[in-house]
Amino acid sequence: MLRWLPENISTFGQGVDTLFSAIYYITLIVLILVMATLIIFLIKYRHQEGKKATYIEGSTTLEIIWTAATTVIVFVLAMFSYPQWNKIKSPNQFPENPDVVVQVSGKQFNWDMTYPGPDNEFGTDDDLDLENELHVPRNAVVHIRLTSQDVIHSFFVPQLRLKQDALPNRFINVWFEATKAGRYEIPCAELCGFGHSEMRGYLNVHEQTDYDAWVQERWPQEAEGGQ
Amino acid sequence: METQNNIDVRERPPLSNARLAILVLLGAETMLFSGLIGTFLVFRVGNVTWPPPSHIGIELPRVVTGINTALLLISGYTMFQAWRAIQKDSVKQLRNWLLITGILGLLFLGIQGSEWVQLIRKGLTLQSGVYGGIFYVLIGCHAVHVLSAVIWLFIVLGMAMAGRFSADRYTGVDTCTIYWIFVVALWPILYVLVYLS
Amino acid sequence: MHDNEHTSHHEESFLRKYVFSLDHKTIGKQFLIYGLIMFFLGGGLALLFRWKLAYPEKPLPIIGVSQQYLDEGEVVTGADRMWERIYESDEEEWLELYMPAGVMTDAFYNMLFTMHATVMVFFVIVPILVGAFGNFLIPLMIGTRDMAFPILNMLSFWFAVLAAIIMMAGFFVPGGHAAAGWTGYTPLSADAQWTGVEWGQILWGLSLFVQGLSSLVGSINYITTVINMRAPGMTFFRLPLVIWSLFIVAVLLLLAFPVLSSAIVLLVFDRLAGTTFFTATAEGGGDPLLWQHLFWFFGHPEVYILILPGMGIASELIPVFSRKPIFGYRSMVYAMIAIAFLGWIVWGHHMFQSGMRPGLGSIFMTTTMLIAVPSAIKTFNWLGTMFRGSIRFTAPMLHGIAFVSMFVIGGLSGIYMANTPVDVYIHDTYFIVAHIHYVVFGGSLFAVFGGIIFWFPKMYGRYMNDVLSKIHFWLTFIAFNCTFFPMHILGVGGHRRRISNPLAEAVEVVTQEQTFADMNIFITMSAFTLGFAQLILVFNFFWSMYKGKTAEQNPWHVNTLEWEAPTPVPHGNFGQIPTVYRGPYEYSVPGEEADWTPQAQPEHAPATGGD
Ligand code: HEA
Ligand code: HEA
Ligand code: CUA
Ligand SMILES: [Cu+2]
Repeated sequence: MLRWLPENISTFGQGVDTLFSAIYYITLIVLILVMATLIIFLIKYRHQEGKKATYIEGSTTLEIIWTAATTVIVFVLAMFSYPQWNKIKSPNQFPENPDVVVQVSGKQFNWDMTYPGPDNEFGTDDDLDLENELHVPRNAVVHIRLTSQDVIHSFFVPQLRLKQDALPNRFINVWFEATKAGRYEIPCAELCGFGHSEMRGYLNVHEQTDYDAWVQERWPQEAEGGQ
Repeated sequence: METQNNIDVRERPPLSNARLAILVLLGAETMLFSGLIGTFLVFRVGNVTWPPPSHIGIELPRVVTGINTALLLISGYTMFQAWRAIQKDSVKQLRNWLLITGILGLLFLGIQGSEWVQLIRKGLTLQSGVYGGIFYVLIGCHAVHVLSAVIWLFIVLGMAMAGRFSADRYTGVDTCTIYWIFVVALWPILYVLVYLS
Repeated sequence: MHDNEHTSHHEESFLRKYVFSLDHKTIGKQFLIYGLIMFFLGGGLALLFRWKLAYPEKPLPIIGVSQQYLDEGEVVTGADRMWERIYESDEEEWLELYMPAGVMTDAFYNMLFTMHATVMVFFVIVPILVGAFGNFLIPLMIGTRDMAFPILNMLSFWFAVLAAIIMMAGFFVPGGHAAAGWTGYTPLSADAQWTGVEWGQILWGLSLFVQGLSSLVGSINYITTVINMRAPGMTFFRLPLVIWSLFIVAVLLLLAFPVLSSAIVLLVFDRLAGTTFFTATAEGGGDPLLWQHLFWFFGHPEVYILILPGMGIASELIPVFSRKPIFGYRSMVYAMIAIAFLGWIVWGHHMFQSGMRPGLGSIFMTTTMLIAVPSAIKTFNWLGTMFRGSIRFTAPMLHGIAFVSMFVIGGLSGIYMANTPVDVYIHDTYFIVAHIHYVVFGGSLFAVFGGIIFWFPKMYGRYMNDVLSKIHFWLTFIAFNCTFFPMHILGVGGHRRRISNPLAEAVEVVTQEQTFADMNIFITMSAFTLGFAQLILVFNFFWSMYKGKTAEQNPWHVNTLEWEAPTPVPHGNFGQIPTVYRGPYEYSVPGEEADWTPQAQPEHAPATGGD
């Protein structure tokens, strides 16, 4: 099953994949144990002439064993998950000083990307609006201000292992750091109407030099300013 | 193996079917109001100023409603008296107490209705953002409950007039009392939340 | 109380006997048939949209007009002739709107899966598990003559019918039916401008509101009956587990549904009265997430409402056909109570990616994963019940075994999603769809099938045909796994749910695009097989009602009280109310000659009943 996962290209994605495979193996073992026991019982204890079932009402010891075992597995799993979850979603654990800040806003049925421009402020003249195209450099921390103009959409980049719903009238911050250049889809993952199926944008991860060139093309003044 | 020998007759359950059913129903009612009160709290906590700035100037009628609250609480007491009366087999007292309770209930509804009319005149309507919306839906939902309790009560009153109740047959009064008390007891919570907070 | 009042026989009119019946058994059967009809409707809708998923651009067979007709205006097949007539009538617009050139539109697709899920959850599983089995079994198994409030009981059925009528009406209103998913997320559902759906969504809400009244009345009845009307000697810890499960479910329904009702009230106000509870507006608007909280606060207990009676039924089938007591009766009861209790504090696991505070996510992850513990207790106890038993592979038992194994698969996939970091990726992909169907079809529906075959002799006095039952079982079991197992893989590959055109989907997200398209076709084929298999069940059901082999009073040699009643069960159920002497699962008691000891059998008397 694991080989079906798309390639991971984000810094926190590895952690997600590790947990995924841990759960995969745990559940696989549990499944095999349960099924094997079931099948063995079905064969061994099938009705046979002259053989009576044994009267057993239960066993407190066994009951305690499997309760405890499951509890332990579950808690250990949870312990490993908290930090990973916080790393992805808790704003206070985001890497500070992002290299790029973009506002992404869903609307039926497109993603509007807004770059603040050199002054790093939204709502000024040098803002850049792009439809469905997000450009970021490789190995750089990107912060995204996620919002929506109508209904709920969901920002999903499978390769980044990142998904976050976009809500109208609210700004939700997400971050990522992509480790591989390329062009990736940003499908919308929350039902948002009849165009939901076809709603998608693209994440373009550039090498730093390409990205700089891209920036220069958009904001020539900035390059003159030396930054 | 459990094999102790057993009682042959079915024991009389501690709560009669009707009583149990009405208590169970109140469980559901509680959850219905929890949903609405929860909604109210979400909006209340989510807004720093309450009422939201656009509604400043519209005052909910705290004092009148306070008096109304008192009326309703008294009706709870009179309902309880009606219940006590039938236990003592006094159909006449039952009738009187029921009548007083019913009138108090109607009075409550009447005063609320007139307050609503005034509020709407002042400009607080269902469409006035979430403030107006949740006010009318939550208070209105309670009013609908009071109304149905009043109707129920008058049916019980009619049955009382027809001499259908006695000290050992008063399930109708019993269930109506429980429901009435629930509706009464719910109100102060709503009053404090919606009018005073 | 008035024990003899009911037993006295008197003729009843047809209406009283079959339509507005007050008898819990008739009402139970009414719910069963109602549920089966709706099952075909809900399944039919699924088959319709499965076609779109496999062949997004091809016209539907039969229903979509043939390409030839469109190209040349010529009529060839009977289907074309039929559709030509419709095309030329008033309905032209409807077809043009939803199936231009026979290919379903995205908007129509959304309506189909929304209604598929709504129908399956609210009009199939709950009516059958709770309405049919609850009504039929509770009075019989606790040893009483009827429900506490027969009139309310009848109302509960007719409210359900009314709800179904309102729901069906939605298909015929302008703007079409609700298309915001069965979860009806706001603001999508709160305003017609986002979906173009006008009355459909409102009728959806009203219908569920009425359905809520039906459940409310039903659960008041169940709770009162179980608490107050048990036969002498039937203590709580001698109740069969299926009764325990139905009792717990009644409590869940009672407390959960009103929350949905309150949310629906607010939604309908938003739609009709111009309030903005769920729509964020610039000044002082509402909160879109509020709906999700209210919905899932109801919704998660609801999914346990869907599974607990299934667990109850499995807990009847497995001991009976293993001829052994259930393993750990009390822990089974406590586990169900624990599941019901935990079910209230996990609703946030549907909202991990919704923008809820991440800290809350961690809490909900913990509580959600904790549910694995009582579920483990139940699973291992079922296995323990089979241990050293004498297992008979009857059709009901096969379904019971399928229930256990499929529930485990569905439950384990729940662990992936409960895990917040993994859910970031998995959320809203086909992995969830696979989970849903493993628990509700693999779980609940297999239990339903098993239950129907098991209690059929008591309901109709006849057996269901064994060969047909077994063919149905194997076909269903295999086709079910072929349909839903590959969905896990689709999900892991990043295939989103609620997508009408998976070909567009697969182009760039996944590298395995062709494999995924093939997989979708395979799934659709299996789904059609699965649908076909259900025809066998229904044929068997109605055929056996009239032509099946006559059944004895207690054909499977079961201990519980319903088999003490004569077959067919008369009005009033029992000649004399039985007295209960022991727990429900006394099979193969050492020292007893028979391998079963009915609950109502006095000490040291030989087993009676079945021939
Ligand atoms: C009958 C219905 C039913 C049942 C019983 C369950 C049971 C469970 N469900 Fe499921 N669920 C649904 C119906 C159901 N669910 C539906 C319909 C949805 C989708 C709604 C929608 O969005 O449309 C959903 C969605 C859903 C989500 C949201 C996913 C998302 O949208 O991102 C999550 C997340 O946590 C979840 C988790 C669980 C868990 C942990 C259980 C647990 O109860 C499972 C417990 C069982 C086991 C774990 C197996 C047995 C145990 C053992 C063999 C012991 C050993 C185990 C371990 C050591 C782990 N479910
Ligand atoms: C509660 C029970 C339940 C049951 C039993 C089923 C049964 C089935 N479900 Fe469903 N399903 C849900 C509950 C259920 N589902 C839910 C809650 C969702 C989520 C919806 C959402 O996202 O909002 C969902 C979503 C869902 C999807 C995902 C849609 C999407 O996200 O885009 C799919 C896709 O394949 C699917 C398929 C099926 C199939 C093939 C069956 C099969 O088992 C059906 C078997 C077929 C029959 C029983 C039909 C028999 C009838 C005939 C043979 C007559 C033929 C008639 C005609 C063709 C008109 N279901
Ligand atoms: Cu936007 Cu789905
Ligand atoms: Cu859930």
